[in-house]
Amino acid sequence: MKRPLRLRLVLRDLAAGSAFGAMAVSGQLPLWALGLFLGALVLALCDVRLVARHSRLSALGLLVAAVLLGLQLTSGAMNAVVAACSFAGLIAAQRMLSTPDAAAEGQTHLTGLLMVAGGAALSGDMTYALCLIAFGVLASLSLALGVVEAAVPDGEPVPVRAVMRPLSAGLAFAVAGAVAFFVLFPRLNWAMVGPRSAPGLGAVSSAGYSNTVRLGGAGTIKGNPRVVLRATLTPDPERDALDAYWVGRTYDTFDGMEWANVVGAKQTERQITLRPASDTLLHQRIELLPAYGARTLIALEMPSRLGNAMAHTPTGTRSSPVQLQGGGEVRFTIAAPSYTYEAYSLPPDARTGMSAGLVQAERDQLLAVPEHLDPRVARLAAQVLQGEKEPLAAARKLAAFLQRDYAYTLEQAGTPEDPLADFLFVRKAGHCEHFATALTLMLRTQGIGARLATGFYGGTRVDGGYLVRAGDAHAWTHVLVPGRGFVTVDATPPSNRTSQGSVLLEKLLAFYEAVEARWRNSVVDYSFRDQFELASALVRPPRRPAGSPANEAPSRLPPPRAWVTAAVVAFVVWRAARFASRWTGRAPTLEATRFLDRVDALLQRAHVPRMEQETLEDLTTRLARDGHPLALAMTPLTRRYLEARFGGRALREGEAEHLLATLRRALDAEAARRAVKPAGQAGPTARAS
Amino acid sequence: MKAPARPSFKARLRAFLRPPRTLSVTKTGRTYLVVTFGVGLGALNTGNNLLYLLLGLLLSMVVVSGVLSERCLRDLTVRRVGADAAFAREPFAYRWAVSRKAGHGFALTFSEDLSPLTGTGKLGHLHAGKEHIVRADLAAPHRGPVSLSGVRVTTTWPLGLFAKTRVFSLEGMLLVYPRRGYACKEPGPAEKGPRGEAGSPRHLDGTGDVAGLRELAANEDARRIHWLKSAAAGRLLKVEREREERRVWKLALETGLTGDALERRCEEVAAQAHQLLDAGHEVGLQLPERTLRPAAGASQERRILQALAWVGFEDADAGADSREAA
Repeated sequence: MKRPLRLRLVLRDLAAGSAFGAMAVSGQLPLWALGLFLGALVLALCDVRLVARHSRLSALGLLVAAVLLGLQLTSGAMNAVVAACSFAGLIAAQRMLSTPDAAAEGQTHLTGLLMVAGGAALSGDMTYALCLIAFGVLASLSLALGVVEAAVPDGEPVPVRAVMRPLSAGLAFAVAGAVAFFVLFPRLNWAMVGPRSAPGLGAVSSAGYSNTVRLGGAGTIKGNPRVVLRATLTPDPERDALDAYWVGRTYDTFDGMEWANVVGAKQTERQITLRPASDTLLHQRIELLPAYGARTLIALEMPSRLGNAMAHTPTGTRSSPVQLQGGGEVRFTIAAPSYTYEAYSLPPDARTGMSAGLVQAERDQLLAVPEHLDPRVARLAAQVLQGEKEPLAAARKLAAFLQRDYAYTLEQAGTPEDPLADFLFVRKAGHCEHFATALTLMLRTQGIGARLATGFYGGTRVDGGYLVRAGDAHAWTHVLVPGRGFVTVDATPPSNRTSQGSVLLEKLLAFYEAVEARWRNSVVDYSFRDQFELASALVRPPRRPAGSPANEAPSRLPPPRAWVTAAVVAFVVWRAARFASRWTGRAPTLEATRFLDRVDALLQRAHVPRMEQETLEDLTTRLARDGHPLALAMTPLTRRYLEARFGGRALREGEAEHLLATLRRALDAEAARRAVKPAGQAGPTARAS
Repeated sequence: MKAPARPSFKARLRAFLRPPRTLSVTKTGRTYLVVTFGVGLGALNTGNNLLYLLLGLLLSMVVVSGVLSERCLRDLTVRRVGADAAFAREPFAYRWAVSRKAGHGFALTFSEDLSPLTGTGKLGHLHAGKEHIVRADLAAPHRGPVSLSGVRVTTTWPLGLFAKTRVFSLEGMLLVYPRRGYACKEPGPAEKGPRGEAGSPRHLDGTGDVAGLRELAANEDARRIHWLKSAAAGRLLKVEREREERRVWKLALETGLTGDALERRCEEVAAQAHQLLDAGHEVGLQLPERTLRPAAGASQERRILQALAWVGFEDADAGADSREAA
């Protein structure tokens, strides 16, 4: 056996690696499968074919792996797609490490193809597209080199560079064709949404939502740049940076160490109304990403209604009812890596009133302070307020004081027994939870109702929507203002409210998120509706420009893009017709032959005397020589037949019919002439020549 | 000029439906198509857009495969270079010359279309503007003239999923000599009596330059004694020449033989002729329908082999010599 081309094997193994990557980006494969495959890939790339001599042992290993996967499948610890994908990865690893013969080649590529298909079922991540393209390119190059290598005699070099050029063009065409197919092929299925359930690699849940907020955490979440929420707002604020609070839940009970709620779960509905709606509501279509990792619905302050939730689970997309909890929290009832839902919020200047779901126990808690609260807190609050009793003014005075005299830091040394006192009187530095807790408790000590709210602050504009990062997690204070309801007051310094991560990293991630958002909108969520809109956009008349007069009649002509589309379609049809006409290149010859057959049939029916084996041109010559009346019709007909058959001048459209009609008339005239002739003057009879 | 006889409807339909290229699916291609079908079903069933994307890529690769293989087979010019000597039931070297005006050809496999010749020639890469010679080891199952109608050029480029074939219509004929083997029978006695110069005693002492002298052994021909040297030496010395005595054999192929008997006899005669000619003798051949005058040398052997190859195929083609491809 001749030694296979090293480059081809490397390409094959990298293709298998890409295919495995298409599955691995879903983050659902077991770690041992990941480790085994990566190890096999490294060994294969180093040209260490471990299995070549221990094929039976490796087959036994595969069998054991299959049994293990089967057990996990039957126990419910793993779903069928993940198990199948893991096993395909193991087969690919075994094949990569075996002797590189034709069978191993084919099986490696086949398992690669199956892994890519499995990846499509597991992941909706944009990285999948990169893995898919990488697999397509690498596997095609490997296959092409294999085909050429098989035809190259032993000892001769494989023309790698010559292969690359036509194949690269072919691959570019294939990718373009795939996109065209994707865009144009009608979606004949009912499920219009692709899988968006896979959290992806590195998508560790980071929102930090729990039933309690414990003071003294390290605050590392503020440095996390991962996107947890995407929102599309209507009406669109059209601002690059959103100066808004996204509330998740509030806390009313503080025990000196942590915040909690006095009331638990309430009703479960498809939609939860927290506050009565006003005339102008701010609509939000929100997508919570796997990095969010919690079940609390987020909405802009102050939320009025939340619901219409869809949970994107590994098994598909399902509608999820929502449940109202204490503190105005609304939760999904179905656990899933990601969700989409709708929310309506009151405009910022609206009177919010009391939350509809606020029970008496919760109202009582708005003034509750911990039993062992440091008395200095109340003294400090009174000292700052100087007798100010109006809740909102008092709150703003205290917030200004905290922002002026206290530093923002994410560094926390140890866990003090009284974190609030430690913040206010010892360290005089903390993060948003400290500031918000301090403001809330100081207000309560002065008889002003307040509670702690948690959620996110800010929002970066990307692709027409807004992104909120894990680092935007924030805590602030809701002050109860008589006649207005809860009003947001934030004691944290404004510059420290949003994400505290690296600017460069945030920019890079913003770019990635923009691309991924486009990927999700254009690919993962592409549906028949999008196809219909795409088609109608090509023919829809253009909108009237903003400055144009209203009485100006719109043009009845289709827009230029419709003309361009029509031209492109016409060009494609013309090219296809030309291409198809190459397969019918023999048509002119056949046309001429068919024409001759019809002439012969006409002459035979009219009993025109012909010699044995006499050709059409011989017959015409004889008729012309004898001065026969038929010669007038036969001469042009014969000439055109010969030109069409042998001269490369095909019969024009309808020309054959015209010539045959002329001949038919001439034959009818000849028949009429012969009918009046005496019987003894018949024409010459046929004779052998 | 005569209008051609109209072919039958079946023949015309076959001609109309015959594709310009033949396409067959390889084993890899079959698997690929099954997976593509599965992905398509999965896409339609689940509505997973990524599966649609994958399906689009797989189908596009099929189209690309078709286009690239077509470009490979386009603008090719093929001619037969032929074989030096083709003996039945043993591989013989056969050559085609292939060229193209523009573009590249990859992974081309050459074979003779509609012929009993087995074996293929392969060419990994065909440059434009240069004629390449493709060599193959073909084998013919039996002796005789093999009619060649065309050259099949097949490529599995680019992905090995489909094998696309183009047949270049190229009339020709390859004469396959009888199978080589050992002659069990002796060729019989050599011709006796004067036959031109062969009967002259002066020419029966071998040919060529004098190789040396040695003492005459018992029962050796006295006509080879070098008398002058023998007189000088005082004993009988015999002249040894480069080539020994040349004799004439006339091999005959009996009439009435058919089938295997004829084949075996042709092989035997060919082997005997080869042995005798190799020893420097002259060999003639008496066939039922023609006679070859005795002669010596490689060209005579070729004439004998050709004559034997044609036995039983005399009515196959009158102008065979002019069309012979070998």
